[in-house]
Amino acid sequence: MWNSGQEASVEEIGKPCRRAARSSTEESLFEDEVLETVWEIREKSEAVRLADVVEELGNEESIRRMQANGLIMIQDDKIYFTEEGECRARDITRRHLLAERLFADVLDLTDYEEDACRFEHVISPEVEEAICTFLGHPPLCPHGRPIPKGKCCELYAKKVQPLVQSLKDLEVGKQAKVLFITAPAMDRLASMGLVPGASIRLQQKKPSYVVEIDETTLAVGEDIAKGIYVKQA
Amino acid sequence: MHRHRHRHRDKGYKTGSGYQRIALIGNPNVGKSIIFGLLTGKYAAVSNYPGTTVEVFHGNITLDGKKFLLVDTPGVNSLIPMSEDERVTRDILLSEKPSLVLQVGDAKNLKRTLLLTIQLAEMGLPVILDLNMEDEARDRGIIIDTKKLKEVLGVEVVGTIAPERKGIKTLKAAISQQIPKVPQIKIHYGSVIEDYIERVASYLPETNISKRSLALMILSGDESLRGWLNANLEEATIQKLEDLRDECQKKVKRPVGLIVNEIRFKKAGEITNMVMKKSPQKGGSLSVYIGRASMHPFWGLLVLLLVLYGLYEFVGVFGAGILVDFLEETIFGKYLNPMFIKTIEAIIPVKFLQEMFVGQYGLITMALTYAIGIILPITTTFFIAFSILEDSGYLPRLAIMSNRVFNIMGLSGKAVLPMVLGLGCGTMAVMTTRILESRRDRIIATFLLALAVPCSAQLGVILGMLSALSAKALAIWLFSVLGVLLFVGYLASKIVPGEQSEFFLEIPPIRMPSISNVTVKTAGRAVWYLKEAVPLFMLGTFILFVLDKLKILGVIEKITSPVVVGVLGLPAKTTEAFLIGFFRRDYGAAGLFAMAQDGLLTPVQTVVSLVTITLFVPCLAHFLMMIKERGLRMSLTMLAIIIPVAVLAGGVLNWILRTFDINI
Repeated sequence: MWNSGQEASVEEIGKPCRRAARSSTEESLFEDEVLETVWEIREKSEAVRLADVVEELGNEESIRRMQANGLIMIQDDKIYFTEEGECRARDITRRHLLAERLFADVLDLTDYEEDACRFEHVISPEVEEAICTFLGHPPLCPHGRPIPKGKCCELYAKKVQPLVQSLKDLEVGKQAKVLFITAPAMDRLASMGLVPGASIRLQQKKPSYVVEIDETTLAVGEDIAKGIYVKQA
Repeated sequence: MHRHRHRHRDKGYKTGSGYQRIALIGNPNVGKSIIFGLLTGKYAAVSNYPGTTVEVFHGNITLDGKKFLLVDTPGVNSLIPMSEDERVTRDILLSEKPSLVLQVGDAKNLKRTLLLTIQLAEMGLPVILDLNMEDEARDRGIIIDTKKLKEVLGVEVVGTIAPERKGIKTLKAAISQQIPKVPQIKIHYGSVIEDYIERVASYLPETNISKRSLALMILSGDESLRGWLNANLEEATIQKLEDLRDECQKKVKRPVGLIVNEIRFKKAGEITNMVMKKSPQKGGSLSVYIGRASMHPFWGLLVLLLVLYGLYEFVGVFGAGILVDFLEETIFGKYLNPMFIKTIEAIIPVKFLQEMFVGQYGLITMALTYAIGIILPITTTFFIAFSILEDSGYLPRLAIMSNRVFNIMGLSGKAVLPMVLGLGCGTMAVMTTRILESRRDRIIATFLLALAVPCSAQLGVILGMLSALSAKALAIWLFSVLGVLLFVGYLASKIVPGEQSEFFLEIPPIRMPSISNVTVKTAGRAVWYLKEAVPLFMLGTFILFVLDKLKILGVIEKITSPVVVGVLGLPAKTTEAFLIGFFRRDYGAAGLFAMAQDGLLTPVQTVVSLVTITLFVPCLAHFLMMIKERGLRMSLTMLAIIIPVAVLAGGVLNWILRTFDINI
């Protein structure tokens, strides 16, 4: 009835969970927090102790109430997900970590924790999928936590090229469009025409990366190439 | 390039109220210096890589009776400076109120050209736009409607092909006849940034460029503006401006400088699309293939070996071998010196004075013979080869090939430019370190230049001596010097504080070097060499002569003999070579050359002495330039490291060669 493993089959991933209303009542917000916390603890240890979650979020009574709502099971002071709960926990964690990636990589923010926490509650599955695709189905969050996979990721793993990839992974000779740059020295690159929206062609990768932007040929080291994100044309 | 060797090379021009100032501004490597040369008749070094000009040059021009002062500037990609040479250019606009900016742009790279035009327009400066290299644009299928561009910008636009002098007349007419106009480009940076532009501008004083442009620089976080702010504003106001900047930054989330740049590029792109037609490219030309091959991981190495082999044959074998034999042994040895000796002995009866001119340390028999008989042919052949390399556009490709090697020394491939230039002349190479991004890079590069990069003259002499010995001798020398370079560079990268900078470099197209530019450049360099080196050779020889006569030379040789004889295993007389090496590196090497010729050095001693003198102190001019660029303390510190390292390396090599009884 409940799962303790993290991996779920494709069919399961595809199944939409019954989400809390996005109007975000206080109760549903708290539920999300609990589910997320349980998910995070479960990443590190086998069993999730109720005491740990209570210590983190307080309000033991509300946590226990979630058992009645069919989201978690509490047994021997340990918390387990129900199928419904696990599904929601995966979703909410996924949205949170995707948001972190988006804020950190694309928007280049450093102080994004709080925003990511709010973001996770408000985006629709469509937006979530679009962001995931845009980011190239990232496997890890900026802090190194695994981002739970969505349906789009599974599809991508099977056939689709990532929409966004770093210049480092682009095939030699291919044309691509620059989407965003997180490379060091990006202000200098920018003044030479390497800006989001620019069309580029990767001439070579070794011994250094050589990129052509219009009539400008630019050589860059690997550290910079890693931070240039492109979409293959 | 050699124009830039000395501060006083930039001379022979007039300023004053009668002269209207024109600033020559443009992206790197678009041909500003060649346009400067065509307008003023003065030669400014022209090469095919970004960063040829790192200093400002002035020249006069009179058109229709109107007098102008033209200022050639280092190339910039943005007027928010990212490096020292870019800053030089921005500061000219900021402090020197030019009555006109002659913007030189690359016709095939209109978007980047317009990025600068936009910034000039924001500064409120009148502009004439010269779209240069129309031929290269046409070869790439790019046609620009200059008439339409003129309408859009509201300023004069002239197309030129500088090496063919095409369009120069029109350009001159435009400068003398047009009433200078500010380009009509207005950009809106979004309500938040615009609001802050206004607020920052309200604190700024009236100056040569618009408050709006200054405000944009401040909001973009331009640190190089600090000096100007300190000079023009109260500390409290500066603090206020910084607060406003931080506030603005917080509101827009992404770096303001990047947002501003992107909006400008978007505008530049819009204008470009209006006036540019691009037809599909014809198949790649030969130069494109050569260009690609020379940076290919495999073919690039072959090209590099080919270049090195060519250099060796032309400079080492032809210059240092055939030409030196002819000049030194035949012309000086058989004709000039015997003639001078006869003449001087006939007209000057005093033995002391005779020896001063034609003795062992004679101004003619030693200084002139070394300078003109040995060094001149070597440097000239090197300068020819080097000019060809410079103009072909190969050097930046070499940076691509060597990036990884330079990473070991804590530098990026970009540092290959000053290092290779150091093979021409260390003095100018030190100045070229300005193109490097960080202070750390400039320190390491300056240090390694002083330590392990022999200049052309020295290199030529060394190549000549070693190739006379054996290929093995050459290999041992090369291995030792490169080994020290890498090892000491590695240590320096660990010791000098700071992060390693990232490698990025614009790669110019491969071009066929023009015979006339190579000739003019080589001639300029040869003349420079004669003017600078010969007097120093004379001075050095004279000092040696005096030391010898006062018997001090013997004393010095005795003092240094534990090191020279003991550690390095060299004859005491080699001390002289090291002494004069401080006047000119090549002179020191030439001293060794003469000793080897006289059979005073064994093969092992030759190799050890050459490794030591290669690593030994930089010459006087080089050292003075180090002081100018890096400061006295830093330069002395470097010297204090270099001398023991050179002796140690020579000593270790001597020990190895003798202990293992290696035949050379």
